[in-house]
Amino acid sequence: MKGLLAFAGALLCAASAAAHIGSPNVFFEGVAGVHALRVVIRPPQTFPGLAQADIRVTDSDVTRISVTPTFLDAGDATTPPASAAARVAGDPQLWNATFWLLRRGSYGVEVELESARGGGRIAVPLQAAALARPVMPPALGATLVAFGALLIGAAIWLAAAAARAAGLAPGAAPSPRDRARGRIAAGLAALVCCAAVFGGNYRWQQMDRDFANALAKPLPVEAGVRREGEQNLLHLAPPRDAPLTAAWDTLVTDHGKLMHLFLIREPELDAFAHLHPVRRDALAFDGVLPPVPGGTYQLYAEVTHEDGSSETLVTKVNLPPPSGAAALQTSTGPGGGILCLSPSALQPGADQPSALDFDDSWHMGASDPTPGRSAALMGGGRMDFETDGELVADRDTALRFAAFDAGGAPLPLEPYMGMFGHAALRRSDGTVFTHLHPAGSISMAAAEMLARREGTASPMPLASSATAHEVEFPYAFPRAGEYRVWVQVRSGGRVLTGVFDVAVRESG
Amino acid sequence: MQLESTLLLIASLAVPLTLLWDFSWESTIGVDRFFGPPHAANYLAVALAGAAALRMAVVATHGGVGGVPLGRMRAPLGAWITLWGALAFVAALLFDRWWQSNYGLAAGIWHPPQIAKAVAYFAVVVGAWVALLGQQTSPRGALEAALAAGAVLAMTSVVMTAQSFANRQHSAVFYQLGCATYPLVLVAQSVAGRLRAPASAAALAYMGFTAAMVWILPLVPASPQAGPVYNALDHLLPPPFPLLLVVPALALDAWLHGLPARERGAARWTAALAAGLSFFALFVAAQWLFAGFLLSPAADDWLFAGGGRRWPFFLRIDPAARTAFWDFVSPGLGWTSAAVAALLAFFSARAGLGLGGALRRLQR
Repeated sequence: MKGLLAFAGALLCAASAAAHIGSPNVFFEGVAGVHALRVVIRPPQTFPGLAQADIRVTDSDVTRISVTPTFLDAGDATTPPASAAARVAGDPQLWNATFWLLRRGSYGVEVELESARGGGRIAVPLQAAALARPVMPPALGATLVAFGALLIGAAIWLAAAAARAAGLAPGAAPSPRDRARGRIAAGLAALVCCAAVFGGNYRWQQMDRDFANALAKPLPVEAGVRREGEQNLLHLAPPRDAPLTAAWDTLVTDHGKLMHLFLIREPELDAFAHLHPVRRDALAFDGVLPPVPGGTYQLYAEVTHEDGSSETLVTKVNLPPPSGAAALQTSTGPGGGILCLSPSALQPGADQPSALDFDDSWHMGASDPTPGRSAALMGGGRMDFETDGELVADRDTALRFAAFDAGGAPLPLEPYMGMFGHAALRRSDGTVFTHLHPAGSISMAAAEMLARREGTASPMPLASSATAHEVEFPYAFPRAGEYRVWVQVRSGGRVLTGVFDVAVRESG
Repeated sequence: MQLESTLLLIASLAVPLTLLWDFSWESTIGVDRFFGPPHAANYLAVALAGAAALRMAVVATHGGVGGVPLGRMRAPLGAWITLWGALAFVAALLFDRWWQSNYGLAAGIWHPPQIAKAVAYFAVVVGAWVALLGQQTSPRGALEAALAAGAVLAMTSVVMTAQSFANRQHSAVFYQLGCATYPLVLVAQSVAGRLRAPASAAALAYMGFTAAMVWILPLVPASPQAGPVYNALDHLLPPPFPLLLVVPALALDAWLHGLPARERGAARWTAALAAGLSFFALFVAAQWLFAGFLLSPAADDWLFAGGGRRWPFFLRIDPAARTAFWDFVSPGLGWTSAAVAALLAFFSARAGLGLGGALRRLQR
């Protein structure tokens, strides 16, 4: 019986953080040995629970695929046997595997391919955590209440009958004294039942609270802005009441940066910045703010710890308007033209760029991007959203974008932090926010660490099945709704951001 | 009602035994489906108990006189209790299925549907025991009642498995839980049973059936299917060796058997004191010594499954802790906690005397 798993329960950790907000599935695109593959892992909502892995391989000579999850805190000796993947009927390239995860935490999911050409192995980082507080369906609730009422009534009747008549010879009628005893027993049984209902309800509420406290959720962070000369400095620190695990001395670099920070102006969504603050100490990050217009910004900051776990830190921050020379930069932004800026393009030779990270970039445009599948880029170029068909929730898709210059010629893309593109994606109500790149949604830092640990192939940072002016992001939207997508590419040394509004419909 | 009684007895024994199988399965394989073999067997056991009780109700209803009436229906009291348990089990299972797929085990182990399931199991086995106590018209009937009491003891020990590992058998909580529960059943069985030593027979039944699981389960090859695997296993894990309840049960039978059912007042309290204290003394003495043996290399064999070598795969355990008593997990038995345990044994025995008297007078 489940209760006997008490030991396992005692080992379940207290709280976990989400690497992506509202987007629990893991997407990975890369190469295992000689085979290109795409992996989608859907972790379970509860633990122990079954995780699903969809593996798409284009090569037809793959004969066998197996999947093995390793719990990262526990070591290789504790790895369970591999689960074999089965081909999905009707799609010769798609394989599916299910595997059990005993508890939440960081896993390395090793995908092993066998083929005549030697096959290959790749390890995908997975953070498994519960995301949502359960809600009982009304029909089930009503059924259980009906059952409960019936059982309580029956228990009271049974107690009364036992006290009244159990000792009587068959056929004998109960005396008034027997009846009185029966009534007392019924009263006692009613009391016990009431106590059980209240006790059970109290326990449920208590457990639900504990469960909700331990849900994977973005961690709050404290953000403040201070002025230093001409510059505005953004300062980040863990909240004062944060648990000790929030310390930032165990972070590792992802795409060469300890932190990827996104700022989105609300409610207009017309200004967007992708910055890389510098760690000052275990409890502080600092970064120079680019000259984005003043206002309230939603801040998302992504970090990866050395144990492979990733977190998203969130807060809202009020930014002052830029001043001096920088103010001129923004004046043509919102409501006017489109500005895609990065330090290399800002005042070459001046002092200011050295304070900003070379890979920082920011974008200002209209609050409503041009409808349709084409977004204007700074300098007259455009970016097209090339994925065919409509977008459906929970359906594995490749979001493909292509960049063109002002003359309509394909724009050659250059690596931007080791990738041909970065995409940030936000549901209109803010319940989903995720950061994608062509290798998927995984933290590259966690993937590289896992590759070293498992001895598998390192994830290929430049993996892209697209041609040089196109970039592709594997993803499945977790829910239907309106999403805004910011796609960032680098061309001619300059970071360009295309902004799209996309609609995702319900599956089924 | 011979057939119904036998089926009810088999079903009530199968309830704790399938739970032991389930414990072993989850400790070895870890993968736990709603209709996994031990679960399916467990549901079947409850269903069989419900069917046998229903059949008893049909027979009693046609008989027209005996049993406890409900509208036009009649059934022996025990059958009603078992039926209530089977119905409660259906509700608890519905609730549990939703809970498991929404909270999993992350919210805790003793969650409301789990407690509801335990209540339902107890109703099923206690109902069977009550029904069979009412049918002790032959030596076979008396033996069946003792076996049914063994199922109640086994069910009690199953819900306390986590506290009953040999490493915890010097702890205060183990003795306090044992003293609060087992005397109730053993004393009632000793008073209401018609065998020469009814409580001892029940204790032997519990020990025999549990030991059989200790011996049989490890014959089945199985290995963990979920990670992390801290303890490699290649066969089903044996459950902990049964408690030596027969030792205190013999004393209870010696004190209580033949005690007048209508004995009242001070004599009853004296009897409860004697029964409670003797249970406490013998249970502590026997189990204290036996636990030391179970953790020693001498017990590291198929018979006792001891020696600190058999652990659920998911339990990360320090090598030194395997054969040690876990005083750091739950404090050892001291003078005060022993006094509390003795007091609990006394109250439990007193309640057992009351229950046993009522069950002995049971006519329906």
